[in-house]
Amino acid sequence: MPLDAGTLQIGGESIASSWFLILAALLFSIGSVGILVRRNPLVILVCIELMLNAVNLTLVTFSRQLQNLDGQLFALMSLTVAAAEAVVGLGILVDIFKLRELEDVDDLSELKG
Amino acid sequence: MITAIFLVAALIALGGAVGIVLFRNPIASVLSLVAVMLALSVLFLLLSAQFIFAVQVIVYAGAVMVLFLFVIALLGPIRELPTRRLPRQGLLAMILAAAFAALLVSLLGNLRYHAPDSTTDLNAFGSVQNIAFGLFTTYLYPFELTSLLLLVAAVGAIYLSRERRS
Repeated sequence: MPLDAGTLQIGGESIASSWFLILAALLFSIGSVGILVRRNPLVILVCIELMLNAVNLTLVTFSRQLQNLDGQLFALMSLTVAAAEAVVGLGILVDIFKLRELEDVDDLSELKG
Repeated sequence: MITAIFLVAALIALGGAVGIVLFRNPIASVLSLVAVMLALSVLFLLLSAQFIFAVQVIVYAGAVMVLFLFVIALLGPIRELPTRRLPRQGLLAMILAAAFAALLVSLLGNLRYHAPDSTTDLNAFGSVQNIAFGLFTTYLYPFELTSLLLLVAAVGAIYLSRERRS
């Protein structure tokens, strides 16, 4: 079968699908920088949401490129998982803050082996 | 026109993502994540994912972000000090993430695809009917497991926020 470089026809114009993928890769990398650099646990959760969104963009782009709906269904599932993750993560955070004063994530290293 | 829309949305998304990392105030970080999500929802619409677009705006930019703002309002400001454990953490993180981004971009920029099945009707591609057909036939069991996951998350959140008897 012939292979092509992946151009999307949207509204009579063509646009390379790799642009969407590269944008998603950059957003994912920026999110990982945020997780590594920031010390505030809330902002770290926000950065995780950013990375999940970047992955969703990749899934939807591949779905459109291959004209196969499975990618969009996976994106829907990962959206649900992200919502559940935010609820549980924020719940744990509020619980930790109730127990003690916290300055940054380094104060939570008690379970470290 | 489509390219211009893509470029504007991509610039807003990238600027918002940089803002999330750079803003000192967590509320500003959350609001710039909202900007990223709205820009991404425009891109979803370009990629004919209408239902994902609506869910992204309602569930993500609406519900999840309001939850974040509530928690920030509940906890109050957190002082963010530079790390004491690892010197030059910011620089190391930048280098590692730049290398990772270069790897991803070089992988994703050169993909080759099989020609897609041209019988797909792109006007109805990401419509509610098509999504529902996929969710309730091929992916019925994963879909039901998702409802179980949401139930577990709700029970877990209630358990975590209960009144403690010491």
